[in-house]
Amino acid sequence: MDDLTREFLIESQEGLDRMERCLTELEELPEDRELLADIFRSVHTIKGTTGFLGFLRLEKLAHAGENLLGLLRDGKMVANAEIISALLSLLDALRGILSNIEASGSEGEGDDAPMIARLQELQESAAEAKADAPEKPKKKRRLKAKKQPKESAMTIQVASPVPESKAIEVYQAEPQVPQPSRAMANTAESTLRVDIDLLNRMMNLVGELVLTRNQILQRVGAESDLTLLSRRLDMVTADLREAVMKARMQPVSHVFSKFPRMVRDLAQQLNKRVRLVMEGQETELDKSLLEAIKDPLTHSVRNAIDHGIEAPHLREAAGKDAEGTVKLRAYQEGSYVIIEVSDDGGGMKVERIRDKALERKLITRERAAQLSDRELMQLIFLPGFSTAEAITNVSGRGVGMDVVRTNVEKIGGKVEIDSRPGKGTTLRLRIPLTLAIVPALIVFSRGQSFALPQGALSELVHLSAEQAKTQVEWMEGAALYRLRGKLLPLVFLDSLLKQREEQAREGEAYIAVLNAEGRRYGLIVDGLADPEEIVVKPLSSVLKQIGLFSGATVLGNGEMALILDPGAIATQANIGMALEEDAHEVIEAGTRNGATEYLLMQSGQEHAAVPLDKVLRIERIPRARMEWLGGVPVLRFEGSLLPLRDTGSAGEEMTVVVCRDGSRHVGVAVSQVLDVADGRPLEEAGTHAAARNVTLLHEKVTSIVPLEVIPALPVQTLEVTQ
Amino acid sequence: MSAIMLAEDVIEMCSVRVGETLFGVPVMRVLEILGKPATHPVPLAPEFIGGLAHYRGEVLTTVSLRRLLKMPPCGSSEDVLVFEGEDGYFGLLVDEVSEVLTVSPADFEGNPSTLDDRRKALFAGTYKLKDGLLVMLDPERLDPVRLTEMDLRSA
Repeated sequence: MDDLTREFLIESQEGLDRMERCLTELEELPEDRELLADIFRSVHTIKGTTGFLGFLRLEKLAHAGENLLGLLRDGKMVANAEIISALLSLLDALRGILSNIEASGSEGEGDDAPMIARLQELQESAAEAKADAPEKPKKKRRLKAKKQPKESAMTIQVASPVPESKAIEVYQAEPQVPQPSRAMANTAESTLRVDIDLLNRMMNLVGELVLTRNQILQRVGAESDLTLLSRRLDMVTADLREAVMKARMQPVSHVFSKFPRMVRDLAQQLNKRVRLVMEGQETELDKSLLEAIKDPLTHSVRNAIDHGIEAPHLREAAGKDAEGTVKLRAYQEGSYVIIEVSDDGGGMKVERIRDKALERKLITRERAAQLSDRELMQLIFLPGFSTAEAITNVSGRGVGMDVVRTNVEKIGGKVEIDSRPGKGTTLRLRIPLTLAIVPALIVFSRGQSFALPQGALSELVHLSAEQAKTQVEWMEGAALYRLRGKLLPLVFLDSLLKQREEQAREGEAYIAVLNAEGRRYGLIVDGLADPEEIVVKPLSSVLKQIGLFSGATVLGNGEMALILDPGAIATQANIGMALEEDAHEVIEAGTRNGATEYLLMQSGQEHAAVPLDKVLRIERIPRARMEWLGGVPVLRFEGSLLPLRDTGSAGEEMTVVVCRDGSRHVGVAVSQVLDVADGRPLEEAGTHAAARNVTLLHEKVTSIVPLEVIPALPVQTLEVTQ
Repeated sequence: MSAIMLAEDVIEMCSVRVGETLFGVPVMRVLEILGKPATHPVPLAPEFIGGLAHYRGEVLTTVSLRRLLKMPPCGSSEDVLVFEGEDGYFGLLVDEVSEVLTVSPADFEGNPSTLDDRRKALFAGTYKLKDGLLVMLDPERLDPVRLTEMDLRSA
């Protein structure tokens, strides 16, 4: 394919996308001149170029459309649902031919006569209808926003016989088309099309640079004259990485833009009335991720309309507006983009979900009786689940929410669902900003390093050699651990990887509690290293076949590590679906009988505590890593600074409990972490005032570390690179 | 193969040593030689995989000639020849890369019938040198994708 044709294809596709958007808007504003001019321009451009390139089918079709659009644009006709439907199917026909050209270089076979005739007919019938309009009102259609034409019947007679104009004649008529605004011209000048392969290559190289930087930062250590330079390298690398990542970003409107049409078509098909509201379309996401969420998102929107929004009469009976609302909202939250699909429909009917799950034998009756409403809702993520009464064109074809979840988790994201009966359902997709660089925890198994993506990691449990022997329980060959009273299936990484033959294992261990595709299990590893941002390198097909690794990476110390795939490990180890959610469990624990849970720590000889819900993570760090800044002890951590409260712990290593204090993070350095316990508030004798910063833990008065008194950092000098 | 034989009078071969045997690969097929890089083992990988090596920002899958020939491990770190295969680059782990030799098509002979089947499938033939034999290796036969298929067939 020559460059000219390729350029033409890209331009035409963009034009048609724009046309589609405009057409759906036109339904609301049938007389908007700007919209009409925009649509006209898209079709006109296609027609002009096709004549030149010799694509005759395209030219004929575009020509027929252009005639009709010309009348609309000049206000000689008013768009109605019928016309818009016809124009939408014209758009589909044009798209079909474009994709033929893209695939084979030629337009392909097809009979366009019916389409052309349909457009022609509309032109004529509209003119007739208009002439008759005063006496005979057109039959009522479902769509509102139908206005009577402004012009009198007289002018139409002049306009209605459309001349069989040739391309060149229409070119002469061109000056009527409003010129594109200045702003548009400017964007065109300041942007540039870049080949996606080149961008991928740049991203790869930046990844390489990040690696080299990590290695340099680890080596520099004490060499003071290099510290400054390495800091700069650190900053420049971070900035460069951000810039390249930005270049790959596209606004979510690229995916959102096809929904107005889809919602319109679906609503018509299902005889429902649906309004689509979109927010945050300018939110940006990596192009490859945008591609990856297209299907899950489409499915979610379909679901919202098919299962969520009720039929108009039911809505009215429930005292709601007959027109339902589906809301698409995108926003950034930290290093994630959240996309919400919410509807104001009937909400999920928990009983129906349970019955369906029982009918399809996805759960047992005993189990169903134990589940809470929230847990029952999670059942929709099970493979093979569908509540659709009948298999329609729209949903119920077995491609269900499990596919949505699998697809989203494949790219390191998460799916959450929230539903209230009678009020509606919200589906929340959490998508990481980028794929190429992921935060991971480095774990050891038999001396070899592996990277565990942090997206799937929910917590870490340390077992001493003694605990590893006594607290891991066996049930006929299946290892289990009691995590807060519930049994957690365990997978031994070393035996899974056949790094050891016999079942017995010695020494201390860590349980990485993972949550992958709704399956919860503990992965037993020998040791942990620092979390690191890793650059994902693909594996060759031969090694991909092993099925447990999603890639490889080079660590800061120059060593290579394979990246573990938590979902694949769960599958291989036959881990079943867990129905409880993590957060849920913690919230429940936190509010149990009015007491708060505290993390009990030892600092020096004294006991201290912090509320458990404030704790983000716990780290063992060499004392030497503590630095001082303006009299405040700080820790440099993944490129950001953590203010520290040192409670006078001793020893080579210290334990840092990273806590949340409002929106900032602070660290509390202690000798060791002891336990988690329920604390009860204490009252001052006599006054009955609740005592501050003191609680009763294990029947002992324990001081609560006041997080808010940890001095803030001078913000201007704070160098946040991640 | 035939292309090589029809070409010039002499062919340049990169000679490599594995154990006691001298092997040769046409120089034109070798993309790069990595001198004793660190290799990283891959658990559960097929037997013939020698591990991963870092190559120009990518992760290179290597095939170990010793493992292919069911020889004991080398004991010291090995050199890697980089080839282009069906599925991107791959490496071949050998004990040591030595000099480039020129051989003549006239000195070429096919695999002897007495060679075991496994080696027959891996070797492309041999060149008679003045002071010994140079076993010809064809990178296409050592491609991990092909080796996997071969393993599946024999299994």
